[in-house]
Amino acid sequence: MSLLGFIVVAAMLTMYVLTDGYDLGVASVAPLVTRSGRERAAAMESIGPFWSGNEVWLVAAGGVLFALFPKAYACAFSGFYLPFMLVLWLLMFRGIALELRNHFTNDIWRDFWDAAFSLSSLLLIVLFGVAIGNLIRGVPLDADGYFTGTFAFLLNPYALGVALLAVTTLAQHGLMFLMMRIDGPPAERARRTALRLWPALVALYLLVTIATFAVQPRIFDRGIAGIVLVPILALAALAITRREILHGRALRAFLGSSAFIAMLLIAAAATMYPYLLLAYPAGTGGLTIDAAKPSALALATIIPIILAGLLIVVVYTSFVVRRMEGKIVLSVEGRSP
Amino acid sequence: MDFAVADRLQFAFTIMFHYLFPIGTMGLAPFIAWWVVKAWRTGDAHADRAAMFWTKIFSVNFAAGVVTGIPMEFQFGTNWAPFSAKTGSVIGQPLAMEGVYAFFLESVFLGILLAGRRRVSPALYAASAIAVWLGSWLSGFFIVATDAWMQHPVGYALGPHGTIELKSLAAVLLSPFAWWQYLHVMTAAILAGALILTGTGAWYLLDRREGEYARRFLRIGLIVGLVASLAVIFPTGDRNSADVTKYQPVKLAAMEGLFHSEQHAALAIIGMPDTRHQELIDPIFVPSILSYLAYGNFDANVKGLSAYARTEWPPVELTYYAYHVMVGLGTIFVALMLLGVFLLRQGSLFRARWFLWALLLATPFPYVANEAGWVVTEVGRQPWIVYGLIRTTDAASTNVAAGETIFTLIGFLGMYFLIGALFLLLTLREIGIGPSGGHGASSTYEASPAEADA
Repeated sequence: MSLLGFIVVAAMLTMYVLTDGYDLGVASVAPLVTRSGRERAAAMESIGPFWSGNEVWLVAAGGVLFALFPKAYACAFSGFYLPFMLVLWLLMFRGIALELRNHFTNDIWRDFWDAAFSLSSLLLIVLFGVAIGNLIRGVPLDADGYFTGTFAFLLNPYALGVALLAVTTLAQHGLMFLMMRIDGPPAERARRTALRLWPALVALYLLVTIATFAVQPRIFDRGIAGIVLVPILALAALAITRREILHGRALRAFLGSSAFIAMLLIAAAATMYPYLLLAYPAGTGGLTIDAAKPSALALATIIPIILAGLLIVVVYTSFVVRRMEGKIVLSVEGRSP
Repeated sequence: MDFAVADRLQFAFTIMFHYLFPIGTMGLAPFIAWWVVKAWRTGDAHADRAAMFWTKIFSVNFAAGVVTGIPMEFQFGTNWAPFSAKTGSVIGQPLAMEGVYAFFLESVFLGILLAGRRRVSPALYAASAIAVWLGSWLSGFFIVATDAWMQHPVGYALGPHGTIELKSLAAVLLSPFAWWQYLHVMTAAILAGALILTGTGAWYLLDRREGEYARRFLRIGLIVGLVASLAVIFPTGDRNSADVTKYQPVKLAAMEGLFHSEQHAALAIIGMPDTRHQELIDPIFVPSILSYLAYGNFDANVKGLSAYARTEWPPVELTYYAYHVMVGLGTIFVALMLLGVFLLRQGSLFRARWFLWALLLATPFPYVANEAGWVVTEVGRQPWIVYGLIRTTDAASTNVAAGETIFTLIGFLGMYFLIGALFLLLTLREIGIGPSGGHGASSTYEASPAEADA
């Protein structure tokens, strides 16, 4: 049951990264692929209706983590108090920036809020990357599972490396989304930028993977699947993404990028299991799912409810997306000059 | 400063600010659904535009609600870690259900309302408006169920290491305490929605524009508002008080400013509590009414604060004033709505500028009443975080210092100032454009390319 709970939490966080990831990515790459105020407006509009809905995945994952692993919820968020508050503020600030730029038309006003939006989104990706890096590497924990280190501890080279990978990965994800949703010169620039970014992404992925073997030996416990299979699948997803970019098939390229992100997060989750918080230095235990879970009855009650709820969400979301899909393309074409 | 005090300050500020937006979404959603369905069934073009207009204002509320809701979802963990670790088995359940069952429903179908008018069938569009309504009200239910459990814990068993373990989710979700509290909160939200409508309608008539829409807003707002203002008091408020009398008698004594146990207890209409001398300063009493309201019997003995140890008292002044502000405003709303419906039936409402002014100025007060109601509930619950089980002082994170919490509180103050200013700007701008403006644009986002081109 607790394994199922672990999978549910990991899957919901993956959905968060896949969905909010593209709008964070678009925000970060917007200065690279847009040249005029109009082009930037189109880029911002492409994510305008979606960002708050995407953040619902994060909020829902928070509630689910609370129900399934209350101890981990308590330890993680109180332990990483300051970094976590920074994440919250940046999430709010980028929302404010995007809405402010969308609703008023003065050029100076828009330039300022666009810059603020891009910068806060970029910083968020860095913080998320640092968080994942530290989750894999492990952090100093006391006997109850509470974090005992400092902010400075979290900014170690490995975590910063993961942050760089996160930035590059979501930049690609955002570029794929832009190719899909807007047309004209920015779409072409997104395509070219993505192709130029691709070798860097592959190199960073390989470097971070090798570094992971060094800082977290647990990965060897996963055997062939952990050491060979996951990296091969991740590289295959990257290769497919590149092929689809070259063929100009934006939707498929976006799916390729999504698959790559999913592989990264599956690898991270598999490395951590059965721990929710790994202790530093590596090999000294941590907070396991069994120590963090509530009573068996509570778990047996809520897991079916969550699974049924998510199934309903998937059903109506895919229904809505299908109904809305065809004509989104029309309105995108209608926007070209 | 004591760290638990800092945590309480921060929670009070962030939750009270956040709650401003759910009032708007929960209060406006039923009206939007009504107009969308009406436009679909009758082809009424005005209903259609009214729905679009309020959907835009709804979406501003929704976005501000999501943004300020994210800290709420995590604050139990950041600032109240021992509480979360001990009670997660129970209160994690409604919170997880809120995430999975309510948030997605509201956000996905709001997407259709905002951007799908020309893309989906009218039937699906109408269904989406109902789904958004359902989502916002479900969200309210799960939150109130969580709070009601903290007021009157049921369906649990004490576990090892002082944890509280779930015994029956059905008992938690079907608790009569939760349902009466929920109905009270929802009728109060509808009342707020109705007063937002009448305030906006009054503004347009005073400004001599949008006449057709203004009259519609006033008509529906006054009729629904009258029913809601009565239902807030009876039966929902009354049943809520009965539960408080039964399960939280100290809170009742603080709400009423009753220091000494009395038979024929008098109801204080006004007066300022003096906790040192244990009396009300300059009070106006109605004799024996409190005994009747609490127990249905003028002779009943109502226990005063002095019957309990000081350590069991909630902060008396705050509880007392919040309760009196809520009840006072609730009474004024009934009078206002009665008068409005009377003028409406008489046919002179739309010309009665003095009354339109009154409706316009009344718009912020349902917010005050709603917030005051929550202050009564939560401050009155002190010194417990889970009534009778866990004290608030034992629930705050020991690994987060007061200094850290104050630092982040200051950060939230700054951030929320921006959000508040933005919210007002966007809402007032939509009201400025008005329901008949923005021709052909079905959402803010579809409207903006034209702006960019201009």
